[in-house]
This record gives sequence, structure tokens and C-alpha cells, in this order.
Amino acid sequence: MDWQTHCLDEVSMSTPTMGSETVGHLSDEAVPGDEPPAKKRQVSGKSPIQIALGRLRKDKVAMTCFTIVMFFVLIAIFADVLQNLFDVTTEPGNPAQQLNPMNELLPYKGPPSGGFDPEHPFGVAPKTATDNLAVWLAGCRTSLLIASLATLVASIIGITLGLIAGFVGGVVDKAISFVIDFFLTVPFLLMALTLAPIINQRFALKPDLYEKAQLWSLVAILAFFGWMGVARLVRGEVLSLREREFILSARVIGMPTTRIMIKELLPNLVAPIVVAVSLMLPAFIAAEAGLAYLGIGITQGNSWGQTILRASNYYDDYALYFWEPLLGIVILVVALNLLGDAIRDAVDPKTRR
Amino acid sequence: MFAYIVKRLLAGMVVVVLISIAVFALFWYGPESPARPVCESKTGGKCTPERLANFEKSLGYDNPIYEEYGKYAKGVFVGRELTIGTQRIDCDAPCLGYSFKNNTLVWDDLVKRMPATVSVAGGGALLYLLLGIPIGVAAARRRGSLTDKVLVSSFLVVSSVPYYLFALLAWIYCTLVFEIPVLGSSGYTPFTDNPWKWATGLLLPWLCLGLFGCTQYTRYTRGAMVEALSEDYIRTAKAKGLPASTVVYRHGLRSALVPVVTVFGIDLGVLLAGTIFTEKIFEIQGIGLWGLNAVVAKDLQVVAATALFGAVVMVISNLVVDLIYSVLDPRVRLS
Repeated sequence: MDWQTHCLDEVSMSTPTMGSETVGHLSDEAVPGDEPPAKKRQVSGKSPIQIALGRLRKDKVAMTCFTIVMFFVLIAIFADVLQNLFDVTTEPGNPAQQLNPMNELLPYKGPPSGGFDPEHPFGVAPKTATDNLAVWLAGCRTSLLIASLATLVASIIGITLGLIAGFVGGVVDKAISFVIDFFLTVPFLLMALTLAPIINQRFALKPDLYEKAQLWSLVAILAFFGWMGVARLVRGEVLSLREREFILSARVIGMPTTRIMIKELLPNLVAPIVVAVSLMLPAFIAAEAGLAYLGIGITQGNSWGQTILRASNYYDDYALYFWEPLLGIVILVVALNLLGDAIRDAVDPKTRR
Repeated sequence: MFAYIVKRLLAGMVVVVLISIAVFALFWYGPESPARPVCESKTGGKCTPERLANFEKSLGYDNPIYEEYGKYAKGVFVGRELTIGTQRIDCDAPCLGYSFKNNTLVWDDLVKRMPATVSVAGGGALLYLLLGIPIGVAAARRRGSLTDKVLVSSFLVVSSVPYYLFALLAWIYCTLVFEIPVLGSSGYTPFTDNPWKWATGLLLPWLCLGLFGCTQYTRYTRGAMVEALSEDYIRTAKAKGLPASTVVYRHGLRSALVPVVTVFGIDLGVLLAGTIFTEKIFEIQGIGLWGLNAVVAKDLQVVAATALFGAVVMVISNLVVDLIYSVLDPRVRLS
């Protein structure tokens, strides 16, 4: 350090044309100890998570997205209450009274041609006369419920397998890595498409279980093909953490392996896991709606993807019907993605350059 | 090197075999007999238990699963004779079975549909690179400027929209609503029939795939370029007096491209394995749409074939990526 300062001083002396800013900056850096002790700020202890949260709070985009996401989450939680409040149900309406058979079964009242109908703020669906708002609210709940459950299950599988593979190593690591590579090779969409109807069909004869079975089979499929990213990430982090002193010392004092994993390793993995999970959620929402759009997955109709599939023929005659679920997905997924990206930047500021 | 390739190919074989067993078992242990859809379609929906039993017997579904899988696997390599009801069909190697829905041999269909999927995937993937890399380089060179910020944030938003909605909107508004000439006339015509129609028909699917996929490449290229341009050897190259373009492209981009190639290989594999959404939305009769329809119709042989095809493509593309990696980056040693 001293040698450098010395050199720099010589350089600055011998080359007076050099920008003063550069030299001043460098020499400041070289002698940090010169600062008077009275000027030193009170250092307050902050965990990395607190620092990241602080950065996140100052990020306007992140806070806007967070508000939007919370708005959707509240809608999903209180979907029932809101349905009662607007006095709408997801049951089919009365097509004979509400729909115009002369005009492709489009509704008489309300959009697209009859102005605003206070009884059905989002209009009613063609053919079935089901209220759009009720379906939309239920779709929001389906979407978020499935995606959150899938995220939870996938991250638990991923973290557990990643921890074990990275920490135990050897044959176990090889086996788990092979499984990870195997699942990455499986064509996800095709397998999901094959699996969903098979699982659903098993419960088709038990109507009381059917809806629950559909939901859980979707969660299982999404989680089953979505855990590899987290597992790989965690494994990689653990591989480097394993060699650090605090882990070695924990081993030396005879801490059991599971305890090392949970108490020593896991807290150090919170940041990358939070980032991975926050980007997993929008991916699952998009995947759920995508499967529903392909006609497989939630087939009861209370899913945004399913509504888009049915509405895509009405893009012209009844654009509102088509755009309602579409905007729901797009806004929610974009907000979640941007939030996830902001979280990544907040946790690791090096990513934004 | 040779030993490495052999080792990887063997591991790939294991993956492919496991996937085909998985699909086979899924249908076998599914809630209904795999012979039922065949029986329903052959008897016009009047599938009685006796008829079903007959079909099960002739299709071999009353044998143990491993025996049938053995026959299936053998058929892939040496061919076999298939019996469906009273029909007898010679199925030469590589025999992937017989589609009861289309009344065709699965392998013939696969070959027939491959050009469409390869066209869609190839064009889309080419646009990933043609759009993604130059934009990424441009953004990295103007790092911190307004152009960079606008590019990065707008691409972030675009890539956040689910792809199938992006493609659906493009199709609806370019083809159906505004009927934009050339761009709007989407649909697949074989290249050998009419190259001009082939290109114009696929233009919109390509643009959708390309515009959507290139955002990721822009991000990778930009990140890698920013890192590369701050290296010492770039400063050396600049100090030597090399022209800016040589510094950026010959020195900077070469090292920045290494991670991009990895992602590209995997993406190309995913696309070739089946562009399901693109084919469904633009109604292109490729492998993805074929697989999707087969799933709906419960056409076991076709589903198994598409899964097998997808797995083979993925295994090969992963291997090729690793080989190219070692050429691009001399520090990487394969072992």
C-alpha cells in the first residue's frame, strides 16, 4: 500500500498534466487511516437481508410492483368475499334470457354492445352467460394458489436435494446430479400434458374429490419439473461453503450433519434462495395458465388460461371478454418478474452494472 | 476426447431409455386400459368389454409391461410386425409403432412433420442470435447511457410477458384483425413447394420467437460484454491502437460469446424438441402440435414417439454444446 502511494506520488509529480481528480481520488483511497477518529460514523450492525430490504424500499419500480402483487394477493385471498360483495357467482347464468341468439349468443345487456351493466361489471360470457367478474376473481385465486403451492413444494425438494448433494458429496452427489440432469432433459410440456389427464382421470369418478385432485395434480406436476434450478443453485453454493472455516469448525466440535445443514448452511443460502423463489413464482403462474390454455390442467373453467382459450375466438366481437384474463396474467406475471429482478439487484448489487 | 464423447453418449442413452419407459409406464398404469381409445375409435364408440379384451389381446396389452416394452424397444432397432384388430402391418426399423388415430406409421409421420418444426425452430433460434447479440453488444458499449437503460428495461418487460400470450396477441392482431400484408399471412408451406411462401408464412412465428427469445440473449451478451470490456487485455488492445470494432468484436465478443453459446444450444434443443405453443397458435403441423393432439386423443404410440424424439434432441444438443464449449474456450478441458 505504501509502495503504491509512493509510486503514485512520484507519478503525479512527474506528470503534472494528469487529471487532478484521478490522482486526488487515488491518494484518498490509499491513506484511509488519515481521517480523524471524531469523523467516524457510528457503525450499526445490519444483516445482509436488512441491507437488501433497505435497498428494495428505495427502489420505486420494486415498490410499485410489490403494491400490484399485493393487490392481486388480496383479491385471491378475498375472492369469495368480493364475489358476494358484487353479488356474482361462477355458476352459469340464464342463457335463454341473457344472451341474444341472433347475435352469436352475445349478451343483450352490458359489454360488448349494451353499455355498462351494474349487475355484471365485467360482463357475462357468451354461450353460458356466466359472470366474468366471478370467474376472473376465482381465476386469480386458482393462479396464485397453484403457483404458490408449487413454488413451496419445488423449493423444499430443491433445497433438500441440493443441500444433500452439495454437502455429502461422493456417490450421493453423483446420483442426485444425474437425477437433476435427467429432469432437465425431459421435455416438460409434453410430460406435463401426458401426466395431467392421467392423474385427473383417476379421480374423474369421484366428483367431490375431482376439483381438489386437479389442483394437487397440477401442483405436483409443476413442482416435479420445477425444482432442478434451485437444487443446482443450492448445490453449487454448498460446494463452496463446505470448505469454509465455520463449517470445518462445526464439524470438528462434532455437530451432527443435519444440524450443520440447517443451522449453519441454510442461513447462508437465504439470499440466493429468495432470488430463485421470487422468479419461480411468476414462471409457475405463466405455466399454469399455459397448460390451461392448451386445454389441460384446470378444466373447471375458473382459470385465466382456460378463459383465454375460450375467449380467443371473441377477440373482435367481444374484446373485453378476451382481454380481462389476459391482462390479469400479464400484469401479475410482469409485476412479479420485475419484483424478482429487483430483489436480485438488492441482494447482489453487482448484477446491475 | 473420444472416450468423453462415448461416455456422454452412453449417459444420454440411459436418459432416453428412462424417458421412454416413463411414458410407456404412464399409459400402462393409467386409469384406463391403453387399448380403450384404440377400441373406441375402431368400433365407432361401441366398445364392449369383449371387444376391449379382444383389442387388448391383439395389441399385446394383456402381457406383462416389460415384455411389451422389450418388443417396442426391439422394434425401434430391427422393426416388427404389428397387429391391430384384424389388421396386420409391417413396421420396418426404426419402428415407433402405429397411430390408430391417423392410421399411419408413427415414424413416417415423424419424418413428415420434422421439416415444419425444424423450420420454425431454426428460424426462431437464428433470430435469437441475430437480434440478441448485436443489441447486447450495443447496450454494453453504451453502458449507463439512456439508450442502454431504455433497452434493458424494455427488454425486461417484454421477457416478463408469458410467451404464448405474446404470440397469441401477435397472431390475432397481425393476421386476423389488421391483416398486415406479408407478415400477416402466417401458415406453413413446405420449402420445396414454394420457398417464398415458406419464408413469408413463417415470418410471424419467427419474429415472435425471435423478439421474445432475444431478450434473454441481449441480457447475457450485455452482461458478458460488460465484464469482458473491463478486462486488462481490452485496455491493452486499445492501447495498441487497434480500431474500436476490432477491440469490441475480435477481443471482447469472442470471450463474451462462450456463455451465450451454452444457452443457445440448450434453447435450440428445447425448440427442436417441439414448439408446442407456436405450432398451436399459428396452426403449423409440426411435431409439437402432433404431440399435443396425440395427448388429447390418448394415442400412446405418438406420445411416446414425441417424448422420445424430444429427449434424443435434448441429449444431442447438450453434448454438442459441451464440445463447442471446449473449442471456444481453450481453458475448458473435457474429461
